[in-house]
Amino acid sequence: MTAAMTLTPNQTETLVRKLTALADDEIILAHRDGEWTGHAPILEEDIALANIAQDELGHAGMYLELRRELDGSDPDRLAFFRDVDGFTNVRLVELPKGDWAFTMLRQYLFDAYEALWLDAARASTYAPLTEVAAKAVREEKFHLQHTALWVERLALGTDESHRRTQNALNELWPYTAQLFQPVQDEEGLVEAGILPDLAGVRGRWEALVVPHLTQKCGLMLPAASAAAAAGRDTHTEHLAPLLAEMQSVARAVPNAEVW
Amino acid sequence: MTAPAHPDTQWPRWEVFKQDAPNRPYQAVGSVHAGDPDHALLTARNVFVRRPAAVSLWTVREADILTATPEEVEANPAVLDTPGEAGTYHLGLKRTHKRSMTFVDLVGTLEASGPGDALRQAREQHPDALTWLVFPESAVVRTDDDPGTVESWFAPAKDKTYKQQQYYGVIGRHVGELKREGRMPQRVNEEPHVGDHKVYDHPHDAVAKKVQP
Repeated sequence: MTAAMTLTPNQTETLVRKLTALADDEIILAHRDGEWTGHAPILEEDIALANIAQDELGHAGMYLELRRELDGSDPDRLAFFRDVDGFTNVRLVELPKGDWAFTMLRQYLFDAYEALWLDAARASTYAPLTEVAAKAVREEKFHLQHTALWVERLALGTDESHRRTQNALNELWPYTAQLFQPVQDEEGLVEAGILPDLAGVRGRWEALVVPHLTQKCGLMLPAASAAAAAGRDTHTEHLAPLLAEMQSVARAVPNAEVW
Repeated sequence: MTAPAHPDTQWPRWEVFKQDAPNRPYQAVGSVHAGDPDHALLTARNVFVRRPAAVSLWTVREADILTATPEEVEANPAVLDTPGEAGTYHLGLKRTHKRSMTFVDLVGTLEASGPGDALRQAREQHPDALTWLVFPESAVVRTDDDPGTVESWFAPAKDKTYKQQQYYGVIGRHVGELKREGRMPQRVNEEPHVGDHKVYDHPHDAVAKKVQP
């Protein structure tokens, strides 16, 4: 709580907004990954993707605990009792899971972004975030190795796996711009050294993923689309059905205490 | 080494050897299917190192491993002539039926003219083993031991609590509650009860005779 006291009310409000956005990305992506449970190409990858999903959910839990320190909100309430209008995840993570190439490529693009964002967040002046970033970045680096390996093998595999991976890239690439769009008033927290500068993270992200996708994997980057116009309050038609399923048990038994 | 009755239609199988702490032996923990060495290591980490502590992993393609029990060697002595590359071989032993999680400990290396010769030496050095396992050093795929790998592959597991199934007492009464009431076995292998009545007597539960002074 001492760290929280050094924040101005506007900083606190912005940090709550940012932490929620970070958590929402992880929750929704984890759910999409979880949809593969029992359906992945082989048992080992089924386990691996469930591991990744659990890690992402764990990161969401850490962000929401940081939020709880700021405004006392309950992470479970936020995850299971907010409606579609309340979720602030990027549209990239809510798209249906697609085929294995789509899921692996999306996870790769997100892992690279998250690993680099967390790496930068380790230098935050806000100690609770520094701590969380140091912990989560380790897992993210491992995810990144796994998904980078899959993207490479699919892209360089058979004609079919290459085609599917290229199709996935064509569809996903335009959605990645939103990852680097700040939330309202985020620049103030960047100036205070509390949050990483997203432009810097984006530069490092492009330097990492573009050569991997093009030179190593032989994929073609789609023409850059216009920057993500709509903010995190705008969603595709896919989020509402996802939430309906994800929240169904919690809402059916709202007074449950033991899970 | 012989063709199985039901051939595995998946990717090649890799045996996974895990080291729990520096200077501890590598232990066989199970196997994974994977398309290539890097994939095998990543998959092994996901399957076998999410919770338990580890500091290093090896994977070895099943096709590069020769194993035999004493019974198998007796029935088929030609296994001791199995040809292959000469060089350094790792030797693993299964010594007990008691352990549930690991089956083979790697106990060292030997120089051999081939896998059959390695097996023959293993048999001479460790005649009491239940199973011998040998594979050439050249077949080992290892995790890097640089700090970055250790931190992202193995460190996170140390912060995670390993919860047994019984931790999740969702349906019915929590097992801890039953334990406190003395309605659960107090130790491994205790004989089952129905209510307060023991179903049958086990020699281990007999009251030990006191030694007369």
